[in-house]
Amino acid sequence: MIKTKNLSKDYGSLTAVANLNLTIQQGDIFGFIGPNGAGKTTTMRILVTLLEPTHGTAFIDGLDVRKKGKKVRKLVGYMPDFMGVYDDLKVFEYLEFFAAAFAIERKKRKSIVDGVLELTDLQSKRSATVDSLSRGMQQRLGLARVLIHDPKVLILDEPASGLDPRARIEIRELLRELKRMGKTIMISSHILSELEEICDHVGIIEHGRMVFSGTLEEIRPRLGIESKVRVQVANNQDKAVELLSALPQIRQVQVIDDYISVTFGDDQEGDGIIARTLVNGGLDVTFLQPEQLKLDDAFLQLTKGIVH
Amino acid sequence: MNTALTSFWKLFNPARLTGPLFGKELRVSARRKRNYLLRFMYVILLTVFVVIVWLSVVEPQVSTTFQKSRMAVAGKIIISTIVGFQFAATQLIAIVMLSTSISDEIYNRTLGLLMTTPINGFQIVMGKVCSKLLQLILLLAISLPLLAIVRVFGGVAWGYVLSSLCITLTAAIFTGTLSLFFSINNRRAYVVIIKTTVTVGFLFGLLPTIIGGVLMAPMIFGRGPQMGSYPVFWHVLSHFSPFYAISRNTAGLMSPGLPAGVAWFYWPLHCAFMLGLSVLLMALCAGIVRKVALRQVVGQLEHTSKRKRRRRGGKSSLEPAQSEDAVGVVRRVRGSPVLWKDLRAPLIRGVEGRNSLIGLVVTIVALLATYAVWAHEGYLDENFTHISYTVVFVSIAMIFHIVLSASSITVEKESRAWPILLATSMDDWRILSGKAVAVFRRCLPVWLLLAGHVVVFVLVGYIHVIAMVHLSMLVIWLVVFLTCSGLYFSSRFRRTTSAVVTAFGLAFVLWVIVPSVLGLIGAVSRNKYIAQSCVFANPAVQAGVIISGASGRYNARADLGSLRYNWLDGNLDIGSTTAVLAISMLVYVFFGFLFAWRAKCRFRRNIF
Repeated sequence: MIKTKNLSKDYGSLTAVANLNLTIQQGDIFGFIGPNGAGKTTTMRILVTLLEPTHGTAFIDGLDVRKKGKKVRKLVGYMPDFMGVYDDLKVFEYLEFFAAAFAIERKKRKSIVDGVLELTDLQSKRSATVDSLSRGMQQRLGLARVLIHDPKVLILDEPASGLDPRARIEIRELLRELKRMGKTIMISSHILSELEEICDHVGIIEHGRMVFSGTLEEIRPRLGIESKVRVQVANNQDKAVELLSALPQIRQVQVIDDYISVTFGDDQEGDGIIARTLVNGGLDVTFLQPEQLKLDDAFLQLTKGIVH
Repeated sequence: MNTALTSFWKLFNPARLTGPLFGKELRVSARRKRNYLLRFMYVILLTVFVVIVWLSVVEPQVSTTFQKSRMAVAGKIIISTIVGFQFAATQLIAIVMLSTSISDEIYNRTLGLLMTTPINGFQIVMGKVCSKLLQLILLLAISLPLLAIVRVFGGVAWGYVLSSLCITLTAAIFTGTLSLFFSINNRRAYVVIIKTTVTVGFLFGLLPTIIGGVLMAPMIFGRGPQMGSYPVFWHVLSHFSPFYAISRNTAGLMSPGLPAGVAWFYWPLHCAFMLGLSVLLMALCAGIVRKVALRQVVGQLEHTSKRKRRRRGGKSSLEPAQSEDAVGVVRRVRGSPVLWKDLRAPLIRGVEGRNSLIGLVVTIVALLATYAVWAHEGYLDENFTHISYTVVFVSIAMIFHIVLSASSITVEKESRAWPILLATSMDDWRILSGKAVAVFRRCLPVWLLLAGHVVVFVLVGYIHVIAMVHLSMLVIWLVVFLTCSGLYFSSRFRRTTSAVVTAFGLAFVLWVIVPSVLGLIGAVSRNKYIAQSCVFANPAVQAGVIISGASGRYNARADLGSLRYNWLDGNLDIGSTTAVLAISMLVYVFFGFLFAWRAKCRFRRNIF
């Protein structure tokens, strides 16, 4: 649904995006991660036709963003990292204005606006002026605006920034609902734990270059990270260490407080082997959990944190 | 004694009065190219004016003996020209420079931050005013060598130079402070500029004139004593109003032995009065700035007037507004969304609908009153009456067109809604045409005043019907050219102030500077046609010529063939006049569309 080929954007001598290649399948939620100034927002602005790339091309649903700007804009709903507010417009008027801007027929607009207001839980603010809304409400309104023309693709630049925990959870649920509706979503955020929960794929960008693109599971081998399992037994920890050390698949066994950390040589389902070995050895396994690679850890390892 | 001196120094130490904001403002302004451009333009303009005056007074083509005999007169006229120029320019520059002084701090959310430091409101105000004042002093200083050289010609006392500079400076301090005062509650610079100009015009121009008019009514109607019998009023007026003060001061230079009965004038008194007024206004500003800063600190809505907050439901100035309340009627979008949205905005931003209506009613009543006065005096069938009305209406409409078109896109850029609008599927031409039509529709009330005047007096028989055709041609090119050039500058710049000032600058250069420079060339080369061809293109000149040739008790009833239009090189008949108007219309419309095309090309550039 979204594809870029050697996409580059220069601002004078500064290269914001360099030969970016990216593919996002239809119905996916793609998390776009990177340090400040990495080129995320620039990439998104190119995809929504607000910026011209210096080199390379980008396609939305097969349409070249450079040549088919108007058609692309019909397909895409863009929520920038700031809220553009028209003074003295009411919430309903604001949404109807954008519905008209997307050439939605007048008789259909009211029901569409009411629909997105309901979806974003903004019915009670229907007659409030836009600039009087709180930050969280404005973010919701931004999301409602994005949905007004029922786009296939949503490009959301930091939609959860500045929101309280409840609002963040609500936005997360809303994004899941949109995914169920078949939308393709590209989302950037600095709150990695949240992206981890909703994204099918992630892309990590630094200095305008994509340093990783794929599923979270694909990050581990890429980073050369070994699978680990944490085990706790009710009795005889020494025997457990002895049994596990004897297994050929296991590279390292470490005792950390009352836990045993078991490292595998490659990414395989180690928890089954461990459980079987310990139970067959007559030990009571009270806790067994594969150690998850956190997106935060992957991000830290993949990026150097240098801002240009 | 030492302690007293130390206390005095502590209290009135300039660094303490202005605070660190003064240094910061100077550093920032030193990095802005536009300040250097301003100085350059100031010097250029000053030079052009001086050379024009010099050539017109000394007349280089006549004998040297005559020229030498004119030196003293030339010195006086040149210095009074420089003083007049400085007086007008510094006030205008002070208004523009301080028009965003506080609103920028609010917009950038730094005013609340300043309040978390030991800086107080007065230091903020003083820091802003003094830093800009320093730049104004620099501009005034630029002309000092010129004043010194011209003084060599003789006839000009140092006292005049000093008093004029002081009157100019104190007037600039007051207008600058007034601009800062309005910038506290108005985000848009052009609104501040308009409000300040109107207030200054009202306080120092209209109000004294009205009072003077009322006092002198018996004299005007020939039933009372002469003007000299009202010395007290003129004494007060010349000390209260800087306009009267500077003209009185210059009158003293040009005619040292003034007749009895003309107002006594002591310039230090006027300067002290203006400074006192400025200090009072600064104190008021300091108080309001503190309140606004506190509102920002507690997360209140910025740039929201007390009335607006009350309308939204907040009871006190620090109480948050009730956003969920239904406010007014929700209006449905009809037709072009851009046109619909732009037409919702009030004619002058910051002035609410009810106030706009009151303003319109007051304007119409005042207008009718002027018609009544002219009718009473029997001047309605004179062509100068209609020239005055037409030029005033055209000038007001031009100002509205420039301001509204130049702010049309920058307003959206400032509120960060522009990229969102560009991300919709509306094509750029549709947005541009929506904006252009909206500008015209918003300026329509002013054009209707002109149309009303012309139609009524055509029906009455005081204006020839052909004036409607000629004025329509003028209005067409003015609307197209000013709207499209304004939209271009609006798409070119990010800030409303820059766009509005540049749009005014274009009009000023095209219709004042270029004819002046060409007039200069024409005077030197003794070719009057060079200047005249440019003056023809001036809308005020066109409006004046159209009406002067087609109004009045004789012209209004004359045959088409016998109408004569007084262009600067002599009388032209109706065919030639129509041709001149048609050519200028075509040229301006062409350049207008060129601007529109460039505006469209720039739509998606430099938007973040």
